[in-house]
Amino acid sequence: MDEMNIEEETEMEEEIGGEWWSWGAGTDGQLGTGRLDDEHLPQRLPDLSSGRRISQLACGGAHVIALSGGDVMTWGRGTSGQLGHGELESCLLPKPVKFLENFTTSYVSAGWNHSGFVSDTGKLFTCGDGSFGQLGHGDYQSHCSPVEVLYFAFKHVEQIACGMRHSLVLLKGSSEDPVYGFGSGKRGQLGVSKDRIRSFAVPQVIFGLGGIKVISISANGDHSAALSANGQLYTWGRGFGGTSDIHLPQTLPSPLRFSQVALGWNHALLLTGEGEVLMLGGNHHGMLSDPQTSRQQHSPVLDSSSVGSAEDSMGLILAKVCGLDGTRVLEIAAGAEHSVLVTENGVVMTWGWGEHGQLGLGNTFDQTSPQMVKLSDGHNRFRVYCGSGFTYAYRILLS
Amino acid sequence: MSYDDVEIEDMEWNEEIQAFTYPCPCGDLFQITKEELRLGEEIARCPSCSLYITVIYNMEDFMGEPDRNIKKNLEPSKQQSVTVA
Repeated sequence: MDEMNIEEETEMEEEIGGEWWSWGAGTDGQLGTGRLDDEHLPQRLPDLSSGRRISQLACGGAHVIALSGGDVMTWGRGTSGQLGHGELESCLLPKPVKFLENFTTSYVSAGWNHSGFVSDTGKLFTCGDGSFGQLGHGDYQSHCSPVEVLYFAFKHVEQIACGMRHSLVLLKGSSEDPVYGFGSGKRGQLGVSKDRIRSFAVPQVIFGLGGIKVISISANGDHSAALSANGQLYTWGRGFGGTSDIHLPQTLPSPLRFSQVALGWNHALLLTGEGEVLMLGGNHHGMLSDPQTSRQQHSPVLDSSSVGSAEDSMGLILAKVCGLDGTRVLEIAAGAEHSVLVTENGVVMTWGWGEHGQLGLGNTFDQTSPQMVKLSDGHNRFRVYCGSGFTYAYRILLS
Repeated sequence: MSYDDVEIEDMEWNEEIQAFTYPCPCGDLFQITKEELRLGEEIARCPSCSLYITVIYNMEDFMGEPDRNIKKNLEPSKQQSVTVA
C-alpha cells in the first residue's frame, strides 16, 4: 500500500538472513502469527524468518503479500478474494498463490481489499474486491484468483499501487504516459480529470505526469503520489489535513528533494535525501483515541516554522517531525493512522494511533512523536512495512 | 470526535451483516443498519475499536416504505459478484 523503497546503497556487509516481526491489529490473521489476536508488542515470526528471503512485503487493509524469489505468498483477510487462493477464505499463515506459479513476480501491492501482482515480463494481475473498478478489468466484478489486466497486454508494467478503492500503475521506461489510474475517483485520486468523477473500471492515463521520469508510485486511502527521478513529489486525491481534494497531480512546492514517500489515510511521510522526515497533514496524528485512554505526554510533533514556506496555495502544510534530534532516518512506512521509521542507528520508532497495539510499545496509547520500539539491542538494520492497523519489521542479519 | 464524515452513497451495503459499511483505519468496518438510519441515527461505529464516523444522508429516504426505496436509490449500483476461477 505504502511502500516506495529505493534500493539500498551498496552494502559493505552481506545480508545472510533476517528475522521477521509483526504487531498491531490481528483480527483477520494479518500478523502471520497463526492467531486472531491483536499484539501490543513485536511478535517474532519463525516460519517467515526461516523460509526463503522475502524481497518485498506489501500490507493492505488486513492482508499481506510477500514476494520471495519471484514467488508470492499471501495471508490475512481473504473474504473478498484478495489473497488470490481461488476462494473467499481468510488465511492465518503464509500460503503460496498457486495461480502465479507459472510466472516470475517482480512487484506486489496490497490495497484495502484488493491485490496487484506484476510479472518480470511486465504483465499485471489483480484480484480481490472489484466493486469500484479497482481491478482494472473494465467491469465491477470481484475475483478470487489473479486475473491479467488485458489493457496492459502490450505494455510493460513496472509497479502497481493499490489504495482503498483505487489503483495506480507505472509503466517501465515510458516518459510519455507513465502512470495510469482506475477504480474510485471521487476524491480526485485517479488524477484523470479536474471534474469530480465517480469511477473508471478501465485504466486511464493520469494527467500532468507526461515527460516526467517517475520512479515510484504510491496509493493509500484516497491518496495518490508519484516520485520523480529528481526527487520531486506529486500528490493528488483527498486533501491532507482537511484541505480540499486535488483532482490532478500537483507538485509539492518545496526546494527539498525526496527519496521515499509513505501515504496513510490522512497523512503522508516524506523522507529527504538527507535523511530528514517531514509530514503532510499530520497535525492530528496521534490524537484519535478517546482522551481518557490516550496519553499525550509529548508536545505537538510538528514544527512547521523550520521548513520555511510551509503552506502553499492549497493549504498543504509540510512540517518536520520533531523529537529525532537530527538523527538521520533511513526508512519510513505509514499505516492508515500510524507511522514507523528506522534511524541510522538501527532503531525502529513508531507514533500515531495506537489503539490496536500497532505502535508495538506494549500498550494501546496514541503517541504524537516517535517512540522507540524494543526490538533488539545493539546495531541493526531494519526494513519496516505497515498495513492499515498493523506493522511488520524485518531485522537484517549481516555477515 | 467523529473520525470522518461519509455520504451514504459512499458506503457499501453488506448482505452478510445487513448493514451499510465503510472501511475503518483499524482494518474492520464502520457499520450502520437501515433500522438505525430510519430512526435518525447518524453515527456508524466500528465493532473493533473506539472510532466512529458521521453518516450524511436524508432521513426521508429511509422513511415510509423503506426497503423498496432504499434498494432503488441507495444501494451501491454494482452488486458484488465474485468470479471463482
